[in-house]
Amino acid sequence: MSESEAPLLQIRDLSKTFERRYLVQQSNFSLRSIDLELFDGEVVGILGESGSGKSTLANIITRLTPYRDGEIFYRGKEIRSHSPSEIFKYKSEVQIVFQDPYGSLNPRSTIRNSIKEGLRLHQSHLSRQDMDARVEELLKSVGLVSENPEKFPHEFSGGQRQRIAIARAIAVQPTLLICDEPLSSLDVSIQAQIIELFASLIEEYRLTMLFISHDINVVRLLCDRVYVMSDGRIVEYGKTSEILNNPKNDYTVKLIESVF
Amino acid sequence: MLLLALIGPYIAPFDPLAIDFRNRLVEPSWTHLLGTDGSGRDVLSRILYGAKLTILSTVTVIATVLFFGCILGIFSAFVGGTIDNFLMRIADVWLGFPPLILALGFAAALGSSLEAAILALIFSWWPTYARLSRMITVDILSKKFVASANALGVSTARKVTHYVLPNAFDILIIQVTLDISAVMLAISGLSFIGVGAQIPQPEWGAMIADGRSFTSKGWWVVTFPGLMIFITAMSFNIIGDMLRRELDPTLVTRH
Amino acid sequence: MPGAASATNASRDDAVLKLENVSIALSATRTTMVHSVSLSIDRGEIFGLAGESGSGKTLLMRTLFGLHDDAIIESGRMTFKGAEISSSGHRKRVRKLLGHEIGFVPQDPFSSLNPTMRIGKQIREALYLGKGISPKSGEAGKIALDLLDEVGISEPELAVDQFPDQFSGGMRQRIVIAIALSQEPSILVADEPTTALDAFTQRRIINLIIERSRTRNLTVILISHNLELLRQNVDRIAVMYGGQLFNILDSGEISEGAAHPYTVALFNCIPRKDMTLGDIRSIPGEPLSAGYGLTGCAFSKRCGLRQDVCDSSLIPVNSALARSFDACLVKAGRQA
Repeated sequence: MSESEAPLLQIRDLSKTFERRYLVQQSNFSLRSIDLELFDGEVVGILGESGSGKSTLANIITRLTPYRDGEIFYRGKEIRSHSPSEIFKYKSEVQIVFQDPYGSLNPRSTIRNSIKEGLRLHQSHLSRQDMDARVEELLKSVGLVSENPEKFPHEFSGGQRQRIAIARAIAVQPTLLICDEPLSSLDVSIQAQIIELFASLIEEYRLTMLFISHDINVVRLLCDRVYVMSDGRIVEYGKTSEILNNPKNDYTVKLIESVF
Repeated sequence: MLLLALIGPYIAPFDPLAIDFRNRLVEPSWTHLLGTDGSGRDVLSRILYGAKLTILSTVTVIATVLFFGCILGIFSAFVGGTIDNFLMRIADVWLGFPPLILALGFAAALGSSLEAAILALIFSWWPTYARLSRMITVDILSKKFVASANALGVSTARKVTHYVLPNAFDILIIQVTLDISAVMLAISGLSFIGVGAQIPQPEWGAMIADGRSFTSKGWWVVTFPGLMIFITAMSFNIIGDMLRRELDPTLVTRH
Repeated sequence: MPGAASATNASRDDAVLKLENVSIALSATRTTMVHSVSLSIDRGEIFGLAGESGSGKTLLMRTLFGLHDDAIIESGRMTFKGAEISSSGHRKRVRKLLGHEIGFVPQDPFSSLNPTMRIGKQIREALYLGKGISPKSGEAGKIALDLLDEVGISEPELAVDQFPDQFSGGMRQRIVIAIALSQEPSILVADEPTTALDAFTQRRIINLIIERSRTRNLTVILISHNLELLRQNVDRIAVMYGGQLFNILDSGEISEGAAHPYTVALFNCIPRKDMTLGDIRSIPGEPLSAGYGLTGCAFSKRCGLRQDVCDSSLIPVNSALARSFDACLVKAGRQA
């Protein structure tokens, strides 16, 4: 991408501190002065250990957590200045896949309804039949071809649930997909399947992706660029191959050394 | 049991209020299957009429507290912050009083009648549901599937109807089945001590109260209404359990 | 290779743990979950047990060491340091060994320590239970300090007076290891000891376990789903799938393609340093749960080498307690 092109998402000096709660030990999930840029069509990794603030960042970008300090620009516009209709549109363009495939699907809703939820909201012009057809199509593209959409989440394995969660996120045809540790609770052979699925989806849907992970080797496979986070700060960023082959920051060096 | 309550009045062999002093305290016989009480009223007929009265009062109490309690609890959970704290502290203080004592006070203020007892129980029982539904809602709202819904921009109303209520259902239904028997006992209890239904109203608790002076001469007068309270309370527990099993999709397997 | 043959003989005499055709069943339903596992682990050996969730690896180990209340050894022999302990009263016998001959490091360090007891006291308690050293004695206190120092807790004098929640996950896992080592066990079983920890700590804990094993000549069974982690750290690896034992091999042999097709496939699933996206080969389908039986290979439906024989024949079992073993029916057919 060219330098002159405006970023899809730009974060400037974003900080977030969680208030100390009475009698409860302070959890250190704060963000300190984060700067981040994300261009159209890029897959960007955020690498860090648990507690480094990665998930907080994901929740802020998806508007699940409010923020006070700093700015986030989406297509050049600060997301706090969005009007209700712009917020609504933003929510169809920015979607998230969570780590835990067991908690991220409504246990009392069939998977058809779970996937349809976004279509109902953001593509309400579609008829019922069109929506159902779209659900089948989505299930197919996440590799669940012969599955009955009337089943409930508990009837699926962890890997299948993660595929359903991905189908739900891409149903609204988002521009930006945020994945918060989407592999870490899956079995090894299933992780590989989901990595392949992401690779094919990136191609098929031309997704811009923010891939949050603690697994260097997965980030190496999927991401064009990477930001390394530690203790709420970004300590290093750049092209994935450069950072991982030739890290400059002490923390990054240590992180890379510790991987099997 | 509900069926009994519905058709009871039609199959009752005698008028439950008809006094017949010639037939006081008749032992169970073919004419009076469960005997007659101290005023010669047919116990079977009174039980059948009483089924309607007792169950209807119980259901009224439960339905009302469930409805308002949940509205309050879910509202409180969604709003959060100071309002949430304020509402829940009120509920806590309210919970501090034993329901029966509170109901006693209400009944005393409103006069002794079945309606007053029902109202009193409603007033004393709501915090249980407000507290419970708030707790469940807070728990559900913290789940990732709700976060996913938020990321899509799902409206609050839809979150309540499609996310919170279906997932809260089984915990609430368990509470309801437990409470049905408790409320039934409370109503009967209030009637028994004289602040609920008044004799000659055929309410089971009142019947026992009325019959207790004849326990030695006419055991059937107190035994059968007591047995009915016991059976009804238990069958509601069983129905609740069945309902839960039927409605919980995680207990259904399919291939 | 004459060397290999003599090694086999040596291992028989030197074995700390021998399993001969051990099958594990659920006690409630009597369903056999793990079928006819045979292997022998030498003194001082670091042995890896690999498999995905549902493969039966954890069920096997937990049942063998008396930590699983719902499953029993259905048939077969388990010999620990030359003594058979699998016959009647297995759980009772093995529980006697647990905590002094056998140390156990569970997956979750957050629930394996008593949250209301100071660290020092927990170690002294373990010393008392295992070796009868009075918890009040100065000797117990000194051993506790030495142990904490040994597992890399800085300032053990301070640590003994602290409660578990004052430590991070990695530190707690070190304390759990210290408690396990306090009994001077001959075998240490670590069940996914690092999955609850982050990358940094993961490597340090594994290194700690390996290093302690080498200095104390301690046998280690390391259970993990990560073949790459095992390949880098253990001597030999057993691979399980669907309750069947598929493969026993030296960790160096994994990448050489001599392994069982499932071992190879599982290995290719793991992103490693030198890989690109094209190198990842996922295994199609879902992993099978334990309890498949012995007729037919549990992996056949996902296997690229599948032949008719894979679904109809009994899979080979390692009755000879060989050091390396391959249960692939296709390969067996080719050799015959």
